[in-house]
Amino acid sequence: MKKWLAFLSVILMSACSKQEAQAPAADANVATPAAVSEAAPPGEQQKLVIYNWTEYLSETVLEAFTKETGIKVEYATYESNEAMYAKLKLLDGKGYDIVVPSTFYVEKMRKEGLLQPINKTMLKNYNNLDASAMNKMHDPDNQYSIPYLWGSTAIAINGKDVDASKIKKWADLWKPEYKGKIMLMDDVRDNFYVGLRVCGFNDNSTNEAEIKCAYEKLKSLMPSVKTFNSDSPKTPLIQGNVSIGAIWNGEAYKASEEMENLQYVYPEEGAVIWIDSFAIPKGAVNIEAAHKFVDFMLRAESGKACIEELGYPAPNTAATLLLDEKLRNNKIIFPNKEDVAKGSIHTDIGDAGLIYLKYWDLLKAGK
Amino acid sequence: MKPLNLLKHVNQFRFWAIGLASVWLTLFVFMPNLLVVITSFLTRDVTATVSLPINGNSYLRTLDTLYLQVLWDSLLMSIETMLVCLIIGYPFAMCIAKLPKKWQPIILFLVILPFWTNSLVRTYALQFILGNKGVINNILVSLGIVDEPLQLLYTQFAVIVGLSYICIPFMILPLYSAIEKLDVRLYQAAQDLGAGAWSRFWHITIPLTSPGIIAGCLMVLIPAMGMFYISDLLGGAKNLLLGNVIKTQFLLARDWPFGSALSVMLIVLLGFMLWLYYKAANFVSKQGGINGSDF
Amino acid sequence: MARTSKALRFSYLISILVLLYLPIAVLVINSFNASKYGIHWAGFTWKWYVKLFANESLMQAAGHSLLIAVTSASIATIIGTLAAVALHRYQFKGKAILSSMVFISMLTPEIVLAIALLIIFILVGIQLGFWSLLLGHITFCLPFVIVAVYSRLKGFDMKMLEAARDLGATEGQVFMKIILPLALPAVAAGWLLSFTLSLDDVIVSAFVTGPGYEILPLKVYSMVRVGVSPEVNSISTVLLVISLILVIISQLLLREKN
Repeated sequence: MKKWLAFLSVILMSACSKQEAQAPAADANVATPAAVSEAAPPGEQQKLVIYNWTEYLSETVLEAFTKETGIKVEYATYESNEAMYAKLKLLDGKGYDIVVPSTFYVEKMRKEGLLQPINKTMLKNYNNLDASAMNKMHDPDNQYSIPYLWGSTAIAINGKDVDASKIKKWADLWKPEYKGKIMLMDDVRDNFYVGLRVCGFNDNSTNEAEIKCAYEKLKSLMPSVKTFNSDSPKTPLIQGNVSIGAIWNGEAYKASEEMENLQYVYPEEGAVIWIDSFAIPKGAVNIEAAHKFVDFMLRAESGKACIEELGYPAPNTAATLLLDEKLRNNKIIFPNKEDVAKGSIHTDIGDAGLIYLKYWDLLKAGK
Repeated sequence: MKPLNLLKHVNQFRFWAIGLASVWLTLFVFMPNLLVVITSFLTRDVTATVSLPINGNSYLRTLDTLYLQVLWDSLLMSIETMLVCLIIGYPFAMCIAKLPKKWQPIILFLVILPFWTNSLVRTYALQFILGNKGVINNILVSLGIVDEPLQLLYTQFAVIVGLSYICIPFMILPLYSAIEKLDVRLYQAAQDLGAGAWSRFWHITIPLTSPGIIAGCLMVLIPAMGMFYISDLLGGAKNLLLGNVIKTQFLLARDWPFGSALSVMLIVLLGFMLWLYYKAANFVSKQGGINGSDF
Repeated sequence: MARTSKALRFSYLISILVLLYLPIAVLVINSFNASKYGIHWAGFTWKWYVKLFANESLMQAAGHSLLIAVTSASIATIIGTLAAVALHRYQFKGKAILSSMVFISMLTPEIVLAIALLIIFILVGIQLGFWSLLLGHITFCLPFVIVAVYSRLKGFDMKMLEAARDLGATEGQVFMKIILPLALPAVAAGWLLSFTLSLDDVIVSAFVTGPGYEILPLKVYSMVRVGVSPEVNSISTVLLVISLILVIISQLLLREKN
C-alpha cells in the first residue's frame, strides 16, 4: 500500500507544481492593453477567435476579412446560448474574442460582467445599422452588443397538405384536423411564448399561475405534436414528415427554395422576434481585431452576403438596399412592420426561468 | 528518492500494470466524480454557479415522481435496446466464430466499419429510411402493401431501432471474443454423452460465454442510457430521458447541485443493480459449478 | 443437416450485414445526389466532393480526428489491457476500488464527465486543445477496453501461467508470451471500440476542446444538426473508402507474408 501512496503523491505533486507554474501565466492573460500587445507581438500574424452558432456566418465573408486585414480567424461553434454561456462562464470570459448571444443572454452576460463595452468609435460602419433594432431593453444604447442578424419564429405550412388560409393564429394549431401534423420548437421559451400568448398573457411572464395556464394549454396540444425540433426545423417539413411547423424565418426561407407551396404565416397573436448580436467577452485578448471584425460585418456587402446565404435579415439598412428586389420583398425574410410590432423579444427573466423549466419537463414527460 | 528505491524491489510489470490504471482513474475518474459529489451537496447560485451552505436538498428533489418516472422510462428503453442487441448479436457472433479462421477478422471489420461514420449522420440516414416518404414507406406504398405511409418515424419503435443500430457493435465484439475461445472438444464430449444441440447450447455455450454476455450487455445498457439525441431525432423529442434532464439542469437551469445529484443517483442505482446482478450470477454459477463472473 | 445449417448461418450473417450497411448505402447514394436534401433523386453529381475538397477546415478537422482517435485508442488499449490483466491476475489492496472506478467511469453521464473534466483541466492548467482532448478521450475509452479484455481473460485456465512462472519466466515475459496472445482478439476489439468511440464523441469533446483545435465529430455534428449537409455525406463516403482500401492493403500484405 505504501508504495502506491508514494507513487500517487509523486504524480499529484507534479500536477500541483504544474498548476503553480501556470497560475501567473494565466494571470498575464487578463486583458490589459499591455497584455494585448504581448499576446500578438508585431510581426506575428494577428488572430481572432470567434465563437458563433453553427452555420451562422458566410464563409466567403470570413475569407474576405482575412484577406483584407491579414487577421487569422479561429472559428468555433456552439449549438445553444446555454452551451456557449456555460463554457464562457467556466473559462471566466477568456479564450474567445467574439461571441454571438441572443437578446436575453446579452442581458444576462452583461449583468454578470461577462462582456466588455464595445468602443463604437472604432466602428466606422456603425451608422449602417437599422435604428429599429437598436437600443432595446436588453442592452440600452448598445453598449455591449452590436446586432448581427434578427428574425422571427412563426408558422410554416406545407400548402400541399394543409389549407394555409385556415391558419391565421397560433390558436388555430389546436384544431383537431391537424393531429399528428405539427412540429414545435424544442425550446422552452419559444413554446411557452406560444402558450402564454394564446392564453392572453405577457410572454415574458414571471407569474407561476400564468405559466401553469400556458402549460395546460400546451399540454392539450401535445397529441397533435409529431415532433419537436430546433436544430433544423426545415428538414421534417421538406421530408414531408410534418405539415405545419413553428420555425425560424431563415429556415422557412431555405425550405421555400425546396418546396413549391410553402407558406410562412405571422400569427395574429404575434411571432417571436429575436436578435443575435456580436459581443466581446470580458477576457478577450484580441480586442482590436474583434472591433475590426465587427466593423467589417457591418459593411453593406457583408450584410448582403449573410442575408443571401442564411435567409435572415441583417439590421443593416445599407445592406438591404443592395439586395435585389425579389429578395428585398420576400415576406419570409422581411416581415411587415405591423407583424414585427405584434411580436416581442424574450427578455432575461432571471430565476423565473426555473418555473418554465419545471413545466417544460412536465410537458415532455407527459404529466 | 524513496519511491525510486521502492521501484527496484517490486515487480516492475505488476507495478506498472496496476499503477498506470490507478493513477489514470484517480486523476480523471475519481477526481471529477469527487467534484460531482461535492457539488451535489452545495446550493445553486445565480452568479457563482454553486455556493455554500452544504445541504441534501438536491437529493430530496430527485425523489420527485417526475424524475423517478423519467429514470424508469430511460432504464426501460436501455434494457429493451440491450435485449434487441443481444438477441440479434449473439447468433451473429456465433456465426462469425464458426467461419473459417481467415475470414473472421474480415467479417469483424465489416461489422465495425459502418460505425466509423458519425452516429448522428447515420441517425439522419435512419430518419431518411423510416420517414413518411422514406425508403421503407416508398417500397410499401409502391408495392401496394399499404395505402397510407406507415407511421414509423417519431415513434418508440424508431427509437429502439436507432439505439440498437448504434449500439450493436458493442455487443457483437465482446460476444465474439468470448465465443471464439470455446473449446470444441467440450462439445464433442457432450455429444458423445448424448446431449442434444439445445442442451449443449444451454449447458455449455451460454455459461461459458457469460463473461462476454455480461460485458456486451454492460457496454450497450450504459451508453444507451445517455444517448438522448437518438431519442430526440427518431422519437421526435417527445420523451424526457435522464440524459435530457441532466443536460437541462447543467445548461439551462444551471442548477449544478441538482444535476450532480441526479448523476450520483444514477451511478448509485445502476451500480447497485450491477452488484445485485453479480451476486446473483455468482450464486448461480457456484450452484452450477462453473466459474462465474465476480468482476 | 450440416449443409443447411451452414447455409442458414451464412444467410443470417449476410442479412444482418445488409441491415448494418443500409443507412450507409443511403448516405453514399445521397453524396452523389444533386438534390441538397436528398428527398428525391435529382441527378448524379460530383459537386459535393468538389466542395468538400475545397473545404480546408473540414479536411483539417478530419486529420485532427484521426490523430486523436488513433492515439487515444492506442494509449487506452495499453493502459486498459494492463489494468485488465492486473485485475484478473493479482490480488492487491484497493482492487475493489479500482474495479468500481472502472464502472463509475462508464456510468458517469457524458455531460457530467465533460463539465467535470473541463474543471479539472482548468484547475491543473492544461491548455484546451490537443492534450485536453486526448486525455478526455482516453478516459472514456479506458473502461471499454478493460471490460472487453477482462471478459476474455475470465475463464482461461491460468495454471499454465503458474507453470511458466515456476520455470523462471518473469511477469513481463508471461504477459508478452502467454497472456497477450490469448487476449489478442479482445485487445483488438477494445482498440476498435475505442477508436469508434473517439471518432464519434461530441459531448465531451465540445467542452474540453479549445477554439484552435477542431475535430471532425464536432464539425459534422454542427453541420448535420442544422440540416443534412451533403458535404457530410461525401466526407463520410471518403473516409469509408479510405478505411476499406487500408484494410484490403493490409490483408494483401499479410497474405504475401504467409
